[in-house]
Amino acid sequence: MSNVALAKTDRPLGGVRWPGMHNALLLLFFAGLAGVPLLYYTGQISIETVNMLGRYMAFAIVAVGLDLIWGYTGILSLCQAFFFSLGGYAMGMYLAHHGGPGGMVDASGWNIPACLYVVYPYKVGEAPGDAMLPWFWKPFYTLPATVALGLLIPGLVAFVIGYFGFKSRVRGVYFAILTQAITVAAWLVFSMNSMKLGGTNGLTRFDKIAGYSLADPDVKMAVYIITLLCLAGVYLLCRHIAGSRLGRVLIAVRDNERTLRFAGYRPHVYKVFAFVAAAAIAGLGGMLYTPQMGIFTPANMEAGMSIMVVIWVAVGGRGTLSGAILGALAVNLLYSFFTSEKDFILFTWKSEYWQFVLGGLFIGVVLLFPKGLCNIGRCFTGKH
Amino acid sequence: MFKRVFKRGVFYRTGVILLLQAIWLFCALSARADDDVIRADMLRLAHADPAVRREAVTALARTGDQRLEEFLESYRMGSIYIWKDRPVLCEKTVMDEEMNELAPLSDPLTRRPLMNNGRQVVVPVEELTGISPTRRERRLAGRAKFLLRLSSPDAGMRLSGAKKAGDPPGITEAAGLLMKLSENDPDRKVRYTARESLLLLRLNERATEDRLAAVRELGEMKSMRALPRLRELLREVTGGDPEAGGLAARPLRTARGLVRSHGAPAPDSAEHVYRQAIRKIEIHQGFVDYFGSMFQGFSLGSILILMGLGLAITFGLMGVINMAHGELMMIGAYTTFEIQRLVGHTPDNPSDWYYVLALPAAFLSSALAGYLIEVLVVRHLYRRPVESLLATWGVGLILIQLVRLRYGDNIGVNAPSWARGGIEIMQDIVLPYGRCFIIALCAFCVLLIYYLMKRTGLGLRMRATMQNRDMAASLGVNTGRVDRYTFAFGSGIAGIAGYAWTLIGGVTPDMGQTNFIVDSFLVVVTGGVGELLGVVFSGLGIGVLTKVLEPAAIGSFTVGAIWAKVLLLLVIVTFIQFKPAGLFAPRGRLADE
Repeated sequence: MSNVALAKTDRPLGGVRWPGMHNALLLLFFAGLAGVPLLYYTGQISIETVNMLGRYMAFAIVAVGLDLIWGYTGILSLCQAFFFSLGGYAMGMYLAHHGGPGGMVDASGWNIPACLYVVYPYKVGEAPGDAMLPWFWKPFYTLPATVALGLLIPGLVAFVIGYFGFKSRVRGVYFAILTQAITVAAWLVFSMNSMKLGGTNGLTRFDKIAGYSLADPDVKMAVYIITLLCLAGVYLLCRHIAGSRLGRVLIAVRDNERTLRFAGYRPHVYKVFAFVAAAAIAGLGGMLYTPQMGIFTPANMEAGMSIMVVIWVAVGGRGTLSGAILGALAVNLLYSFFTSEKDFILFTWKSEYWQFVLGGLFIGVVLLFPKGLCNIGRCFTGKH
Repeated sequence: MFKRVFKRGVFYRTGVILLLQAIWLFCALSARADDDVIRADMLRLAHADPAVRREAVTALARTGDQRLEEFLESYRMGSIYIWKDRPVLCEKTVMDEEMNELAPLSDPLTRRPLMNNGRQVVVPVEELTGISPTRRERRLAGRAKFLLRLSSPDAGMRLSGAKKAGDPPGITEAAGLLMKLSENDPDRKVRYTARESLLLLRLNERATEDRLAAVRELGEMKSMRALPRLRELLREVTGGDPEAGGLAARPLRTARGLVRSHGAPAPDSAEHVYRQAIRKIEIHQGFVDYFGSMFQGFSLGSILILMGLGLAITFGLMGVINMAHGELMMIGAYTTFEIQRLVGHTPDNPSDWYYVLALPAAFLSSALAGYLIEVLVVRHLYRRPVESLLATWGVGLILIQLVRLRYGDNIGVNAPSWARGGIEIMQDIVLPYGRCFIIALCAFCVLLIYYLMKRTGLGLRMRATMQNRDMAASLGVNTGRVDRYTFAFGSGIAGIAGYAWTLIGGVTPDMGQTNFIVDSFLVVVTGGVGELLGVVFSGLGIGVLTKVLEPAAIGSFTVGAIWAKVLLLLVIVTFIQFKPAGLFAPRGRLADE
């Protein structure tokens, strides 16, 4: 029902629309690659700040993925946080295997991770020594397997949801609500202690990644650099997709699916592809986020988190990949600014007021800058 | 003349009840006339022989004098003394200036101070002889309290006494009174419970024949209270076979099959009698549980319908996804709380009329909030559902935080006192008044909305706007105003949902976001957007399915709330596969949009 409106106002063909944007992004990339380490090694910023920037970049990766499915293909997915968490849990399990104080060893010789036996639900008549490491923990023992699974599992889940959803032509808001319901259900399931994923406490006690100590600042810096490179890689990949013939079909799905179908395409194939790609990208974001956060809890897949991803993209500018990155970074920097207590002349700013800022941001962006920060210039000049 | 009156059933029954009540009254009066006898029994509590003392407690309980309940309590606490060969009550001693301990005395039966020349009698403690009950007597006195209740004029008290008499370890002294109650108490429930307790007491008897007769009758009565005891006895009969209890817990077919394979017990053997009785009760219990879940499902479904109706109206009318709908419900619930606070209703000091006042208040405050949201935000977002989803989510965040700053995270809404009880429509099936009220309220709202949409001018304009906004506008419908009123109305219905929810659930600032918004959207999606009837059916379906799935068990695995939700979601997703547009899909041109 909104096809006509969209076609008129919002028709990027991929890539960068505002040449200045491209340069800004390039500048930002080099600032992140060279500037941040320079500032850190000269003592201007702490390693915690670097860590925080790394986490925000992991979020930006998720945002780029959402932009592919929402901005280009026109499908609002509210389960990006779920895919993010699937990746996060995969990496969390790997880190938990190698972390924590040396705990119990079960009958088959597997070490039971410390964060697991805190909430380990024993069956009636089972002694602590009888506990076995759950089977689904075992594949996540090595890093390569973890990385592969962290991309595959979200992709597979997305394939199942997408295949059944798009095949039966669940569209627009219906799909959004369906995916949100799935996220809520998954959140409830992951919060259960009997799932043996740490319950609401989540996965903790991370010590080592690939043999290096996570407490070492140099390792933290390395993880940050890897995140930055992944972000750049994901951005380039998505830009390539968006600029290719495939990208044009995706945009056609968004702007007029029916015409596309009459032209002989099968839209659901393209939709499933975009959805799976977005999910795998979100999983990658989750995997990069976990070692920098040091804990992964089910709170990361609450209903509000998925909508947060949407607002990052909306703030930056839907349908522009650079906008997704800038939006994610901008909103998260705002978050870290507004959640610290500040004294003004007659008034103390408290962290709980952040919700007002966030709510205002949601309303303001939608009402005042529907095309996002990247296109603010256009809002004023009226050019389309 | 008498004959004619007695022929009519109603008069006959009324007559019997009146007669019985007269007997009760008489008993109570005659008991009061025998105060001296009671005092004599009280004196015997201090007798040297423990058998006489115990006999005295039982005798006191048998008098049926309700004033004795407090006396027995004082007796257990050791506040009863003998002074000059009469029983006296002294709960607290006082000291005079010379540090002598003095005891102000009261009558143990009436609990009024003993008077002498217009002043309470106060004597030195040395003049008192204490009656201190042994542990065994104290326990006996505790049971005597319930024995006393059996002769209370209040049916509720008799019921609690009758229930206690049968519960383990059982009050064997009550058998005679229970027998009388079970035969001619005016209250059906009391008769039933008394009979049940009597039979439960008989289960402890030595003679097998008596016991088996009691078991048979308990089975006939479908007594759920007897079930654990019967299972225990069956285990004894089968020689502590650990499977026996589990066997009995299986449904009918399995039990019969397995019993056969062991070699069926003879039809009149003890084991057979036990199994028969247990089976009857279990079938009844299954039925009761199932009915209870269904009813809970209906009330939950009613709330979902109220939520879904508002959403379906705004979504169908304006193509706007209102994610703040859950917060409008929350506003309704908090308005109810605020009204309760203003009126000053507390469980100890109830002012039930606050709940009547809260209904229009909840509707109006939510409607006002909805009106403001429409004017300030939603008006700009017609037919842009995705953008409206984001903006209204933001509105919701702000509302949640506002309420949290004002009220904190947890508040308690106390249901009005009338909502606490329930009607027992069949044996053991109790429908709580609170849930009945919710269902009635929902039915009323559905009818009201139906009337509004189909029979009034406003409804006509609403439907016209919904079907073709531009056409309606060109025909002179002020679509902007219709939108505002419709949105406010839908919001008000959400407020009523919040108001109703306070009867059965907790109230928190984020209740809408965590519990309701997703579920109510599922209701709308399943029901189909255009048709309100679809919302009613899918709301009830989802509510009932949730509550029926929750207690279901597959082997040793109980489904529980979370898996029930996951299962429900799977059902809905599968359903949408076959009917993507919902239960009642819009037809014709509307379907294309």
